[in-house]
Amino acid sequence: MQRTTLRRTTPATTATTAEPRARHVTTRTRDPSPSSARAPTLPPSSMRLAGAELIDSREILPGQWLQAFHAPELVAGARAGQFVHVRTGDYSGLVLRRPFSFNTIDPIAGTLTIHFRTIGRGTEWFTRLRPGDRVDMLGPLGRPFEVDPRTRHVLLVAGGLGIAGVRALADEAIRDGRQVTLLFGAARASEVYPSSLLPDEVEYVVATDDGSVGHHGFVTDLVPDYEAWADQAFACGPQPMLRALAGLAASRRSRLGVASLGRKRGAGRPIPAGSPQARRRAFLQVSMEQNMGCAVGACLGCVVMDTKGVPQRVCREGPVFASDEIAWEGGW
Amino acid sequence: MVKARRRVVTNGGAPTKRRPTVRRIKSAILPATRRAVHGNGAGGPAPAERRTGPAAPTSPEREIDLAVDLGRGLRLENPILVASGTFGYGVEYGDVVDVQRLGAICCKGTTLRSRVGNPTPRVTETPGGMLNSIGLQNPGVDAVIDKYAATWSGWRVPVIVNVAGESIADFTEVARRLDGQPGIAGIELNISCPNVGKGGIQFAIDAEAAAAVTAAVRRATDLPLLVKLSPNVADVRPIARAIADAGADALTAINTLSGIAVAPSRARPLLGNVYGGLSGPAIKPVALRIVYEVSQVVDIPVVAIGGVTELADVLDYLAVGAVAVQVGTAIFADPTLPARLVDELAAECRLRGLDGYRPLIGTALPKRAGPPSAKGVEYRP
Repeated sequence: MQRTTLRRTTPATTATTAEPRARHVTTRTRDPSPSSARAPTLPPSSMRLAGAELIDSREILPGQWLQAFHAPELVAGARAGQFVHVRTGDYSGLVLRRPFSFNTIDPIAGTLTIHFRTIGRGTEWFTRLRPGDRVDMLGPLGRPFEVDPRTRHVLLVAGGLGIAGVRALADEAIRDGRQVTLLFGAARASEVYPSSLLPDEVEYVVATDDGSVGHHGFVTDLVPDYEAWADQAFACGPQPMLRALAGLAASRRSRLGVASLGRKRGAGRPIPAGSPQARRRAFLQVSMEQNMGCAVGACLGCVVMDTKGVPQRVCREGPVFASDEIAWEGGW
Repeated sequence: MVKARRRVVTNGGAPTKRRPTVRRIKSAILPATRRAVHGNGAGGPAPAERRTGPAAPTSPEREIDLAVDLGRGLRLENPILVASGTFGYGVEYGDVVDVQRLGAICCKGTTLRSRVGNPTPRVTETPGGMLNSIGLQNPGVDAVIDKYAATWSGWRVPVIVNVAGESIADFTEVARRLDGQPGIAGIELNISCPNVGKGGIQFAIDAEAAAAVTAAVRRATDLPLLVKLSPNVADVRPIARAIADAGADALTAINTLSGIAVAPSRARPLLGNVYGGLSGPAIKPVALRIVYEVSQVVDIPVVAIGGVTELADVLDYLAVGAVAVQVGTAIFADPTLPARLVDELAAECRLRGLDGYRPLIGTALPKRAGPPSAKGVEYRP
């Protein structure tokens, strides 16, 4: 009993100290061998199949639900950007699990929350769950957002339900002492994510398509104001929004003339695209969405095309990608 | 009705209840000692361990014989396989699934050259099933061998490589490259993929073409050869007979049913490839019908696949003449299902007072003069 409490309290403290150490290690390992061009390392096979108990279920917006589950095995080691694959109880009709991003992760309490919109029979099944009900979860899956240890200012961009993909990163960045601005876009005021559900430290800027609250227009209109301030940006939302952001990120250096992270250290050494180091250096990381089958990389259902013409699995190489890895126009 | 007069050569033990009309063939091909289907070297001591290890200390109950021989030395420890395309290359599920407990693994469809597959969306759920149109995305046979053969050869579970191609030459070349590679226990010919433009289903809808590709691959390799049938045909029986006559060791029935879904906007079909293959519990009645038909017209083992989600489904397929079943779509919901089915099948046999599952096979087929065929099941006199 004593031992478990000891272990539970550690993640919050080790995470802050681990990152500078990690940077040190990468510079050392890159030097001795020319093997830096090897394939990006896959996530450690830390995924687990475990039961999760529903402890809270609320409809926070019309048709949008926030559910909290107690699942200590899944939460241990989970990071922002990863997701869980949840089985519905109705196998006769619903044969696939449902993937949900970690909306918040509390390793100390062993809880996680998921945020979803009711769009079909599967999500409606989840809304009928009552506290105490158990579901079967597979996770944590996918690769997380990679924040550069030197990043001070974090820009989060979310479109609609995309908030569920970046919400956990706000917690993680604030815990690590970074400043966070969240740009949020929605169709109308009634769909704006409640600011009460965000940490106090987050600067929250809203855009709505109909102008009923905040900026009248797309959330991408707000990005240029924050581009120079931000060291790194992280986005999740509809594909057109991500594509527009990727365009802004690609032209950022020429428009702003700002120094990008990591130019001095390791200049000239190739870093394999898709590796954590490469993603850490990217200005923009995006969390992608695709219809998913197995969520472990077996079925190849959830791919996005990368710039080299190789399909990348959202569930395994993603869901987080550096924006310059993705072939935004077409692909096939 | 002409029957394919072929029969799987079993363990070499004295067959006691064979129908007199069946000729024994290919007895020369099968060496007396089993080929190393369980991996080289490592497979040697394993069976002895298995037989003595768990039996003695744990279960005072009877050890149930679940072993099945799919022909040409492809001996599986149990009749629960995982279906191609649903289990990747066997490594993806990591620690969540103990792959060594499976009867066999059918890996993702493999072609001669790498393929990027179809545009997304590639999968969608449908009532009681799902549609997929992956489009045979794979890195090509050489990359598959490089990447996974070494891993597979260390496994006790046999790995059957699912092979697809655009032409007979493609199929034979892939088979030739797989031949003799360690860790590859057999080939499943995917002549019935509904999701690719060229070389997909056309081989499976015509008896002559199916026989031609089967015969060509048969000449190219000595590996055990399974051929996967398509349900998207008017009558599968002549095709099954032709494939059996052309030298296949076993048949897999069935591949997915061709279908489409419409996008929520109603502006276009949902899948990037428009057409997809339907799988899951929704197709079980169709698969049952085809297994029922095919198992009556061929004398090679039939491996059933289609909507297996529980033990009752396995028993149903055995009753209509299958000797083994593949689990596919259900793995996505419950990755531990195949291994659990093995235990449940053994428990079911124990409950019925059986030593093996052979008596469960073919019980629902029309009564014939002889006893129910035990196609492919190893005889243990």
